[in-house]
Amino acid sequence: MIQEVRVTNRSDAGDPVGNGLLYDINTFLGIKSITEIRTAKIYRFENISKKQADLLAQKLLAEEVFQLYSLNAPVLQGAQRVVEVAYKPGVMNPEAASLLKAAADLGVHADAAGSSREYAFYGAKIKEKDILAIIEHLLVNTTVEKVVDQAPLSLIIRGNPTTSEFIPIDQMNDIQLMELSSEKLFLNLEEMRLIQSYFKKAGRNPTDCEIETIAQTWSEHCSHKTFKAKLIVNGKEKTPLLKRLQQATSETRHPLVLSAFVDNSGVMDFYDGWAICGKVETHNSPSAIEPYGGAMTGSGGVFRDVLGTGQGAKVIASTDIFCFAHPDTPREEIPPGCLHPQYLLRRVVAGVRDYGNRMGIPTNNGSVHFHRDFRAKPTIIVGAYGILPRERCIKGQPQTGDLVLAIGGRTGRDGIHGATFSSGEMTERTTEVNSSAVQIGHPIEEKRVSDAIIKASLAGLIRAVTDCGAGGFSSAVGEMGSQTGVEVALEKAPLKYPGLKPWEIWVSESQERMVLAVAPENLDSVLEICSLLNVEASVLGQFKDSKKLVVNYLGETICDLQMSFLHHGLPQRVMKASFAKKDCTDVKIIPPPADLSLLYQRVMGHPNVCSKEPIVRMYDHGVQGSCCLPPFSGIDGDCPNDSVVLKPLLGYPYGMVISHGLNPVLNTIDPYYGSLWAAAEAVSNAVAVGANPEELVLIDNFIWPFPDQESLGDLDRAVDACVDFVHATGMPFISGKDSLSSTYRGSDGTLLKIPPVLCISAFGRITDVKKTVSADFKRPGSSIILVGKREPEQMGGSTYYELEGLEGLLPIINLEIMNLTFKRIHQAIGKGQILACHDISEGGIAAALAEMCFGGGIGVKIVIETETRPDFFLFNETAGCFLVEMDSGTDFKTVFSGVPHIKIGNTISQREISLYSGDNELFRIDLGLLIEPWKGLMQRVFNA
Amino acid sequence: MKPRVCILRTDGTNCDEETFYAFNKSGGESKLVHINMLRSGEKKLLDYHILVIPGGFSYGDDVHSGKILAVELTSFLKEQLQEFVTAGRPVLGICNGFQVLVRTGLLPDRQVSGKIKAALIHNDSGRFECRWVKLLIEKTNCIFVKNNESEQISLQVAHGEGKFYTDPAALNKIEAAGQVVFRYTGDGSFPTAEYPANPNGSLNAVAGICDSTGLILGMMPHPERFIDQIHYPNWRRGNQLKSQGEAIFRNAVNYAKEM
Repeated sequence: MIQEVRVTNRSDAGDPVGNGLLYDINTFLGIKSITEIRTAKIYRFENISKKQADLLAQKLLAEEVFQLYSLNAPVLQGAQRVVEVAYKPGVMNPEAASLLKAAADLGVHADAAGSSREYAFYGAKIKEKDILAIIEHLLVNTTVEKVVDQAPLSLIIRGNPTTSEFIPIDQMNDIQLMELSSEKLFLNLEEMRLIQSYFKKAGRNPTDCEIETIAQTWSEHCSHKTFKAKLIVNGKEKTPLLKRLQQATSETRHPLVLSAFVDNSGVMDFYDGWAICGKVETHNSPSAIEPYGGAMTGSGGVFRDVLGTGQGAKVIASTDIFCFAHPDTPREEIPPGCLHPQYLLRRVVAGVRDYGNRMGIPTNNGSVHFHRDFRAKPTIIVGAYGILPRERCIKGQPQTGDLVLAIGGRTGRDGIHGATFSSGEMTERTTEVNSSAVQIGHPIEEKRVSDAIIKASLAGLIRAVTDCGAGGFSSAVGEMGSQTGVEVALEKAPLKYPGLKPWEIWVSESQERMVLAVAPENLDSVLEICSLLNVEASVLGQFKDSKKLVVNYLGETICDLQMSFLHHGLPQRVMKASFAKKDCTDVKIIPPPADLSLLYQRVMGHPNVCSKEPIVRMYDHGVQGSCCLPPFSGIDGDCPNDSVVLKPLLGYPYGMVISHGLNPVLNTIDPYYGSLWAAAEAVSNAVAVGANPEELVLIDNFIWPFPDQESLGDLDRAVDACVDFVHATGMPFISGKDSLSSTYRGSDGTLLKIPPVLCISAFGRITDVKKTVSADFKRPGSSIILVGKREPEQMGGSTYYELEGLEGLLPIINLEIMNLTFKRIHQAIGKGQILACHDISEGGIAAALAEMCFGGGIGVKIVIETETRPDFFLFNETAGCFLVEMDSGTDFKTVFSGVPHIKIGNTISQREISLYSGDNELFRIDLGLLIEPWKGLMQRVFNA
Repeated sequence: MKPRVCILRTDGTNCDEETFYAFNKSGGESKLVHINMLRSGEKKLLDYHILVIPGGFSYGDDVHSGKILAVELTSFLKEQLQEFVTAGRPVLGICNGFQVLVRTGLLPDRQVSGKIKAALIHNDSGRFECRWVKLLIEKTNCIFVKNNESEQISLQVAHGEGKFYTDPAALNKIEAAGQVVFRYTGDGSFPTAEYPANPNGSLNAVAGICDSTGLILGMMPHPERFIDQIHYPNWRRGNQLKSQGEAIFRNAVNYAKEM
């Protein structure tokens, strides 16, 4: 029997959840028939008495000072319509465990608990179709949630354990092989045939568990077939993409690099025996169908990557970079099976917020980009950075006899086929077929796990550690044991509920799990740490000197594979690529616009330029007490800085700088120059705050359409750009990730390629955080200097030209001059000669100037030469250029000798921006007229 | 002798290390103590001179912020806590710790009763928000702000459930007893109901309160995030050179030295 407790706020205490939903209904659905929304939480407990439920209501669930409750009866009265929304059975509700714990602490022991929310809609003229629209677009994501029409009879998920099955692969012809592969394994025919012949040689058929293990290990997601493939570009063979990047990195012989491309994250030297590391991941496919859970588990996954670096690192920062279609895209333009960008944006932000904030990891660097062609699938990039003792920064090797210890969350059916699914194209059916690949994260579980691993690591109790990410145990244990061999007793894995098939347990991607290799003599100490921190730990098996992956389930062997076949049996792919150089030379030059200040306002209001402050405010960027250059500063705290600077070792002056850059618009036009721009922008962002270009390292993230010849040709050019950048600057790539599934295929065969994205992240060390600057202008009367090389007429891909629908010459970055510019800026900041600095990116000088003015609460007077085109001057977006504020007494000519620089004006006390061509005033605009469009869009989207 | 500071940890605690540093920097001897160590008897509260419940999301803030931890404390550590308070030792709750203190009953009434007289509820905005706010330090007997009365300081808030809320009678009682220690202020030092200066819609702009003895303090803003000049977002603008969160820890340590 289930007891229901309903809890709602007293009317005088308000109902922020209801008010928020009402705002969304009005703003995004245009439904006006609803006048008020009240909400209630519903708590359910199985097998307790009504008296016990009443006790829980009073002592745990409802607080009389501001709430009312009811037992097994409605609490919201007089509504036209009431809708209850709950997670589907099997989707883990993080609150359930807390409810059982607190009830037990109060002496009430329930068999199961659950919680959901009830929405009561008020309004005389509410139509049913309004309610249905609200449910579809705002309340329920059918992937994980449902409307509760009937109270559940039980909260316990039951199921009978099943055994493993053999798959008659020996009899299959090519068609049958591909049927087996499609929508499940995502392997091609050649790979399926290899599997077939392996088992023919073995004289038996594979089990489902073996097939799943191979599919996961060989998936694009886990084995990066394209990046390792032999490439034939326009008929000529070229070095594989990954190899090119790794070679370029090793050629730099960078003294600070401690580990590159070999561990879960890249590691560089810090100070005083410490090292810092970084990893940036994508989570596009899950986020496309369930943005909240997708973004949460994306964060959780990349945090575990850092946690699993070396012998365990502490996560000290998180970054978030998103690409969507415009939030105001008409619904009819969204392809079938895809979610609206406005919903995606808000739910992804909520997911990143709830995971990072609850784990106590500051999210303090990121950006959001918009392009129409993201309407079928967003790009969701999450980064994590960590710190660890230098002596433990290299991954350990499990020794024969070490134990396989799984710690953290329990295993469920959630997240099955994540690895294979994220390697496939998105189709209309993606949502229904792969719903099991998405789940809700549990940040508190991961916080416990992280506390335990760091404690055990510092005590030297861990031989090796890795995260359970894509491919679950199969990937984690398989990789860890690849040198030695390993034998697992799968029934030892704790389950969320019974009824999982053995192969499901093996490949499930249930979150918040880590796998450790622990020497037998250290087991008790590790278990002790785990139990103190409420972390569940189970010995799954042992590393053996067998060179085999053996999985047993209740005594029966369900997987017996040669490590050599599993990890090296996949043949190198040969892939053809081609590109045709796009000709952007003959572009028609348009006359300057009549009204520059109007154009200025339009550019400031463009989604790629506008303020993202409402998003950043929802992320805790101060936790860990390490932030010393926040995302926003200035008198009103609304001037965006180019990077974040952290002080990870409290009480020491050492800083860590984190930044990134990407330009999907430019990348779509030309992947080479778009990619150069991304790298230049990432580094400029770091240098603009004071980073030393010689102590920066890079991370690449290629988010590309499915690699057909053309896309692969583009990818090849993007990698060449990265390599050229490394050669020119000496900055190494030490970690990277490719996700090559940004393609949407509709039922009618329509193919939509999502813009190719290269996101470059940069991080590095700073000797003294006091030698850093912010972007806000500090005082009137300063000189404003433009530093760096640019050709103003190269307007291609700029916000201005995108607004006007124009093609133009692409911004060509001179890497040599850029590199010297970086050095000069860094030196000047080090000497305290720069009061404020902002790099030039989307929106050009115009946007940079405006933001610096907002921060200082002052204005500028800019003077250009009469022959300069004011619109090109203001809105050119060549990366690698900087605006700096210097005391009018400083001899800027000496400071910037050897690099292009020009004084363009002065700061003034009036809150306005004016532009003169010689003596002739072109325009004068009040800051308020620029702030309004710049802040408006995100304030509306996020009701801020 | 350095006063020993018990920094209470549990699942989801996440501001413990910076709080640890803040007390050490202020002359205390910080210890991270997991609640399981107190429940098992391995550690005793009275072994420490100051008790701090730091910020974070204890048990995910499920049901209500700080609620699950408050229930655990009142169920298993009631006597120890009451003993500690009766012994006249300082207790500090920051953010989630403040939420725990009101939900145990220690604030405003210094009783580990689970009877809730005032609550911290969802921000009016309905959102978690992280921003710097200005605070007025009221005239009180609170030992954590000794000699700082009527100063105006800046600290960071980072919470989704920080609206101080109670019924008019209880509110008047708290005000009359002079238990309001911090208020959100706008420009000038006047308490404000206006967003974002008052980031959550707290009644009477209350950002922190103490008990009648001034030994138990709960506050939503994070003093441990401003114990170094460079914590202040605008330190580069030349103002705000004093680290304005530090006094709270130093006062507590100095008081404990004289206990």
